[in-house]
This record gives sequence, structure tokens and C-alpha cells, in this order.
Amino acid sequence: MSTHKKKKVFIEGPISPDFIAESIAHHSVKTNIGAHSIFLGQVRADQIDGQKVKAIEYTTYRELAEDKFHEIREAAFEKFELVCMHIYHSLGVVPCGEMCLFVFTSSKHRKEAQDACNYIVERVKKEVAVWGKEIFENDSHTWKQNTV
Amino acid sequence: MEINILAFGQIEEIIGKDSFTLSDVRDTEALKSKLSDLYPEMNRIPYSISVNKNIINGNHTLENGDEVALLPPFSGG
Repeated sequence: MSTHKKKKVFIEGPISPDFIAESIAHHSVKTNIGAHSIFLGQVRADQIDGQKVKAIEYTTYRELAEDKFHEIREAAFEKFELVCMHIYHSLGVVPCGEMCLFVFTSSKHRKEAQDACNYIVERVKKEVAVWGKEIFENDSHTWKQNTV
Repeated sequence: MEINILAFGQIEEIIGKDSFTLSDVRDTEALKSKLSDLYPEMNRIPYSISVNKNIINGNHTLENGDEVALLPPFSGG
């Protein structure tokens, strides 16, 4: 059963530090919050077979992914006592050193926010129809594999 | 009977296009075996399948106009 509206998750390109800062600032009016937990995924310059990753290009099966993000959101609200929750994921090219995933949970006390944040990140990586293509400095590529 | 197939990630790369149609595939097992004949490289990728945006487990009967997606392992985040 759906109790919350579907929210926009995908952002074209990197998630900027300004966007993250503004998102935090928006919560100052929600004075029942006592703890925020934030996860930021950053594109790493991995070395694979002597080649260095310069960016990851993300693609998705949008309808399937948006349904799954919604399901994860609903499940997290059900499971944890959260005041609010935001999930943002990049699509398209994100250069190394920049942010590609932003999960932001807020609750009265820290444990709920922290546990919910971890729960969401794990499920997003495992269950959402998004694919990362790691692009090397010489423009060849490989397909990203998520560690368990 | 025609089904619409969407390919993503590495599978899109192997097939060389992001969508195509196939006819006369009665179920997802038949589809997999057809794909493995057409694109042997797909045998090395443990992909899952969604039918009309639901990921399926086991074999699933296909009907005319179904949207079937070939989903390599997810790697978001």
C-alpha cells in the first residue's frame, strides 16, 4: 500500500555539493528532527588491469527503477521511525571524484536515521535497475560490478 | 505473436541495439535459448528478465505484445 508520493530520484549528471547543502538547509524548519544520516557515493578512480577509471556512465530501465525506489522508500518508512527521507541517483556521465548517490534520512534520534540510511543504500545497490559503465582514460570501458 | 524486447547495459552492447521484436517465443525459457543461439556471448552474463515491468522467477508464458526486458546484474550507486 502506498502512503507516500512517488518522488523524483534521478538527476542528470553528478549530484553537486550545492544541491546537497541546500537539501540539508531545507530541514531547519522541521524541528522534530534530532538526527540526520547521509550517505554519499563518489565515483572512484579505480585501476582495472592497468587502466584508470575517469568516469562512470549510468543508465537505467526507468519505470522499473522508479517503482523499486518507491518500494524501498515505502519499506524504509514502514521499518524505521523516520521524519523524512530523500534518495537521489545520477544518470549519464559522472566524472571520478564527483557524487552519484545521495541518501538522506532524518529522525528524532540517531539510530533510526543511521539504520535506515544503511538499509536504503544496500537495497539501492542490489535491487535497482541501474547500470554503471566504467569509462577509462583511453575511452575504452568495462561494466561496473557491485561488491556484496 | 510478437514480443517487444528491451536490452540494457552489457546486454545492449552485445546485441547492438536497445530494443527489437521477436516472434514465436512461447515462454521466457524459449526466449533465453533463442537468445543464446543468436548471441552466444550472452551465455556468460547471469541476466534476469522482467515481463511487463515485473521481474520473473522461473519460466513465464509470453503473450502477444508483452514487454520483456533483459537485465544484466545491477550496478548502481
